[in-house]
Amino acid sequence: MADVLSNYRTGEAFDEMMDAEGSVRPSYKAVASALSRSTSDGLRVIAESLANNYTQAGVTFDVGGVERPFPLDLVPRVIASPEWEIIEAGVAQRVRALEAFLADIYADARVISDGVIPSQLVTSSTHFLRAVWGVKPANGVRIHVAGVDLIRNPAGDVRVLEDNVRVPSGVSYVMTNRNAMITAMPEAFAKQRIRPVAGYPTRLFAALRKAAPPGVDDPTVVVLTPGVYNSAYFEHTLLARTMGVELVEGRDLECRRGKVFMRTTAGLQRVDVIYRRIEDDFLDPVHFRSDSMLGVPGLVNAVRTGGVALANAIGNGVADDKLIYTYVPDLIKYYLREDPIIANVDTWRLEEDEAREEVLDRLEELVVKPVDGSGGKGIVIGPRATKAELDALRLQVTDDPRGWIAQPVVQLSTVPTLIEDCLQPRHVDLRPFAVNNGEGVWVLPGGLTRVALPEGELVVNSSQGGGSKDTWVLSPPPHRSSSGRNSTEHRDEGVDHEQSPTAVPLTVAKIPVGVMPKFAETHRQQQDQQQQGRRRGWRC
Amino acid sequence: MLSRIAESMFWIGRYVERAEDTARLLQTHLKMLIEDTTGAEVDACRNLLALMSVDHVKDPTPTDLLRVLGYDPSEPTSIYSSYAAARDNARRAREVIPLDLWECVNTTWHQLPTAPFGTTGAHVFLNWVRERSAMFGGISRGTMVRDDGWEFMSMGRSLEQVDMTSRLVASASLTHGSRQWPAVLRGCGGHDAFLRTYRGLYTDREVAEFLIVDARFPRSIMHGLIAASDSLQKVAQNNMLTASHAQTAIRSLGQLRARLEYADLEDLLANLDREMSAVQDVAAQVTITVATSYFAAADPTAWITEGTR
Repeated sequence: MADVLSNYRTGEAFDEMMDAEGSVRPSYKAVASALSRSTSDGLRVIAESLANNYTQAGVTFDVGGVERPFPLDLVPRVIASPEWEIIEAGVAQRVRALEAFLADIYADARVISDGVIPSQLVTSSTHFLRAVWGVKPANGVRIHVAGVDLIRNPAGDVRVLEDNVRVPSGVSYVMTNRNAMITAMPEAFAKQRIRPVAGYPTRLFAALRKAAPPGVDDPTVVVLTPGVYNSAYFEHTLLARTMGVELVEGRDLECRRGKVFMRTTAGLQRVDVIYRRIEDDFLDPVHFRSDSMLGVPGLVNAVRTGGVALANAIGNGVADDKLIYTYVPDLIKYYLREDPIIANVDTWRLEEDEAREEVLDRLEELVVKPVDGSGGKGIVIGPRATKAELDALRLQVTDDPRGWIAQPVVQLSTVPTLIEDCLQPRHVDLRPFAVNNGEGVWVLPGGLTRVALPEGELVVNSSQGGGSKDTWVLSPPPHRSSSGRNSTEHRDEGVDHEQSPTAVPLTVAKIPVGVMPKFAETHRQQQDQQQQGRRRGWRC
Repeated sequence: MLSRIAESMFWIGRYVERAEDTARLLQTHLKMLIEDTTGAEVDACRNLLALMSVDHVKDPTPTDLLRVLGYDPSEPTSIYSSYAAARDNARRAREVIPLDLWECVNTTWHQLPTAPFGTTGAHVFLNWVRERSAMFGGISRGTMVRDDGWEFMSMGRSLEQVDMTSRLVASASLTHGSRQWPAVLRGCGGHDAFLRTYRGLYTDREVAEFLIVDARFPRSIMHGLIAASDSLQKVAQNNMLTASHAQTAIRSLGQLRARLEYADLEDLLANLDREMSAVQDVAAQVTITVATSYFAAADPTAWITEGTR
């Protein structure tokens, strides 16, 4: 009997499906039973259909200029309802704290004068942009979209690995993964209620409209992309398409007298809100990199004079700097007077002398990361680095202690993943997405689960050849859902389709469906006889 | 509609139509070559390439035809290049075209052969190209909103169809004699329609009339010209600010229509080659006018660095 799960062995890391005794966790019951009924051939067929589906639909990710289908594994990552409530609250809490931090730091910086963080922490950050000091967004929101990377340590606790409040990407794959999985494994869905993820574009669109400059009743929203060669171009098109707005490139826009316009076949048309997917550096050649071909000259001035709203705001990078990350628990206490719901991964700040000495001594057992890196670039994993790499790193850290942090090697939790013909444990992380519309922070029930496909690999990033999994957040049992799931979730009318209205039986339509009139029966009989007659004739 | 997107839509229409028409043209010629008993194979191939404005192949063979017009990605006139360009434009206009239509173009592009194949495989390939293009036409008609995007795509498609039909008609004039007309009609998919309309008399006059001025036949030059003018009119109505730009283009199309409609057919036939070149000229000229009036990009930004003034 080819039971694909019989040979599944978990390692030292926490496994999302099996506990240490080798029995299946309750949230994974339905998935495990669907898997145990399938053969490895069956799984391969599903995997191939998932890959073909993505190639045809052009769900791709550019790696080094080559368009590749984004690898989607067929075993989902399942999150039980009580645990999701904690994640949801924790993510929303972080976004609220970072929002308050940004509002403060681009104004009076009370957080510094109150001694919560040292001033050089902010002033030395390359993402602290003086060009937007004193700029107040119309509805106060700077982090319209956030992606918070979470991991689970071997003890089973969820921890925050990093915050992304600049241009977090990956949400499109959350939606396409779900669509692909529903067609590929319908039977696993039928057994349980999984919270839908398709409402994201509506939420985002509503939040973007609310960000419009004052006095604009019906704002024109656009998505600004660097262009087709950007690795996340697919995502930009999907968001523009599902929100029903224009996808523009920098060359489609023009700034005039503090306002932004797009070039259309009917002449210039005013733009009010730009959901930009271009990094700060490239946004405006007047203020930032003057060699940028992707940006729009004059955009920063338009933002400063309130002629256009940008989502996410310029200068957010100061909040997701990995060194600021180490202070986020303090920021939560300072701004919100709450205890952090989800803790950070233990982190050494290398600019502190004691910490640096300790880290430099134990370099071969730690992970060292550059503070403003993204996409897994520049990370050195001590146990797997060569001596030469470690020596080079030691020099770099001594030269620029502000530029680095160190963390213990965390064994990320694992989920069964189809590798060739069998299921094997592979490390995963989770990026839930949060949308802030100025009245509350909404967290998409699900998120991007990224999986590192090589055995034992701990860096899970799409630009490093990682794959992804569909993330299933189970619905709470029905008797609880009516009382409201969570205080942090605000409900927009007409947005939440999760509760289906009570079904009204359809009355049978009075007018029947039209059909083509038949030949009169006699006519048909005559034709028939004619034929028979002819046939008889041949016989004679 | 964004100018950049409008431009992409226009070229999606043109390239898909070109791929289909190239496939028809190739198919017709491959059949003609087999039936041709005079043995002037090289001449026939050279003439076909000349029609498609290809002049860099010396002593072409049918295999060269298949390469240059069929599967070679490095040849700008090949079906491969047409579909690659259509797909590239569709990717740029991804958020405005329906998902089904995008998947149709993308799948076609993924399945395009790049390896050489002989004349046997050629018909399978060419039939496939025509099927994919028909699917594209069907999906776009069935799912697209009739907005500017649709009009620009139809405009591109009509202009390309005018251009390609004129080349196909001119191809018949090369070999002289009504012997070639059935093949040309088949190449336009209009053989049966012609027989039904004109009762099977293959005279030069009637076939030319059918292919050039009979607006009822959807691949005739006249039909394409009318469709292109209609699209231009609608675009002009929807974009009043820039409407005056469209007038030049509408005028040149109208002049050509009048010229073809009221010209003596005998005169047209006598100078078929030159008349058809004139048609191609107008198509090219209208494309330029549309591009400058609707697709105009930003003026290149000039930076004045400190110290240069």
